[in-house]
Amino acid sequence: MTVPAALVRPRRPPRSAFALIACAAAAALTLLAMWDWKYGIGFSFRSLVTEITRKNAVIEGLLHPNWGQALRPRTRQAFIETLYIAVLGTTGGAVVALPLALWSTRFGAPITWFRVVVRALTNVIRAVPDILWALLFVALVGIKALPGILALFFFSIAVITKLTADTLDGIDMGPLEAADAAGARHHQMLRLAVVPQILPTYVSFVLYAFEVNVRSSVVLGLVGAGGIGERLDFFSANLRWDAVWGIVVLFFAVVFVIERFSTWLRRRLV
Amino acid sequence: MIRFERASVTYSGGVSALRDLELEIQDGEFVVVVGLSGAGKSTLVRAINGLVSLTAGRLMVNDRDVGSLSAAGLRALRAEIGMIFQGFNLVNRTTVLNNVLMGRLHQVPTWRTLVGAYPHDDVEIAMQALERVEIVEKAFVRASNLSGGQRQRVGIARALAQQPRVILADEPVASLDPPTSHVVMRYLQQINRELGITTIVNLHFLDLATAYADRIIGLRAGELVYDGTAADADASVFESIYGRSLTADDTMAKQAAL
Repeated sequence: MTVPAALVRPRRPPRSAFALIACAAAAALTLLAMWDWKYGIGFSFRSLVTEITRKNAVIEGLLHPNWGQALRPRTRQAFIETLYIAVLGTTGGAVVALPLALWSTRFGAPITWFRVVVRALTNVIRAVPDILWALLFVALVGIKALPGILALFFFSIAVITKLTADTLDGIDMGPLEAADAAGARHHQMLRLAVVPQILPTYVSFVLYAFEVNVRSSVVLGLVGAGGIGERLDFFSANLRWDAVWGIVVLFFAVVFVIERFSTWLRRRLV
Repeated sequence: MIRFERASVTYSGGVSALRDLELEIQDGEFVVVVGLSGAGKSTLVRAINGLVSLTAGRLMVNDRDVGSLSAAGLRALRAEIGMIFQGFNLVNRTTVLNNVLMGRLHQVPTWRTLVGAYPHDDVEIAMQALERVEIVEKAFVRASNLSGGQRQRVGIARALAQQPRVILADEPVASLDPPTSHVVMRYLQQINRELGITTIVNLHFLDLATAYADRIIGLRAGELVYDGTAADADASVFESIYGRSLTADDTMAKQAAL
């Protein structure tokens, strides 16, 4: 009996070699980075074994954290300053990041030169690490909260724009066509056909940026840009590791609260 | 009035979707365009509101030359033309009312859209549009919570909210089951008769076409092969449009029975 052609099962097409080559390349790169050769960094795991058992002030402090430190007025004041800096920096950054993300897509900015300029701008903002923003603004506007807020403003733009722009690639294009067909102007189309589609994801990126910003405040304090970082710098410089770990508990509490809030908000929005 | 004059559309890649089309549609007509998929139905309706540009010939819609319109002119033309889509094209993550308000955007200032503060009159028009398709009770429900038939009624309400002179419907029932398809077609027919809105519908089911159309236009490989009343369109006419004998797949009633 001959089988009709339509019923013959197709053979599996040959696998692309791309995935295999990519995995091999990643493995090779890792090995190369570990190798002790002319351009190597000469690291070894040996110190992990020999050094870690040594008596160590940092670990001592971790084992006996100074819980009371989290409640001292000066610490509390510095931590509240950190939260204010993070709230203002993140909010400002989030407001600017949304249009920048929209304008860095093909449908968001049909004019090519405009899209290219926006993308170049956000790439430059992203290339600068948060500590450099802080140093820059400390030099420009002096110490305390303002340079911290400005640094986190730019850092938030970098984070939120990048993540939101990636999300915009996967949206449903149908509503965009409907808005165009209804005679909507360009930004009306973006507001009504695009923004609702990405809103829950955007909001969770904003909250993530806030979380990262609270942690970045440590770095900000090191260069004099205000907040809890100055206290951490002070205690670690004086080897008061018990106090350092006491303050870290505050970070844990904030990250936990943001996480719960983010989950709750996403459930409401999706 | 809509008039195609030797209109052609050739897509990049050489596919010819419309060839030398000569066609005139009077105000208030209910026209159904039939043809196989790829015959140019979608291109024909999308040319009318400028979503697709002609590559040759001329297209006049409501006394405007579509090909020579500025961006603002094109928006003004599109404001007069409501469109209904096969895949509904609703924003699922927002309310039914917000979706229908999309039909009012041509009247609403951009800043009002950005902050979501729509004028009372525009909300009223949107609500009336929802009442006409009898789904106003869902106004504040998310579009994602509706069934397919309900979504398409919202799609019709969005087109109606434009207070258009023309409604284009591109395969409006292809994603729906037969009873729901008839509900949607009856709304379109009712809107055409009561409001006098010129209605152009793409369909591929012959029984739906003959049941609702005043006039049927047959396309085959981008060319006009039939233009006449629904009553005159018999099996031989459809065979000429389809280029083959008819099968159960071509009518919704028979396909549903399969």
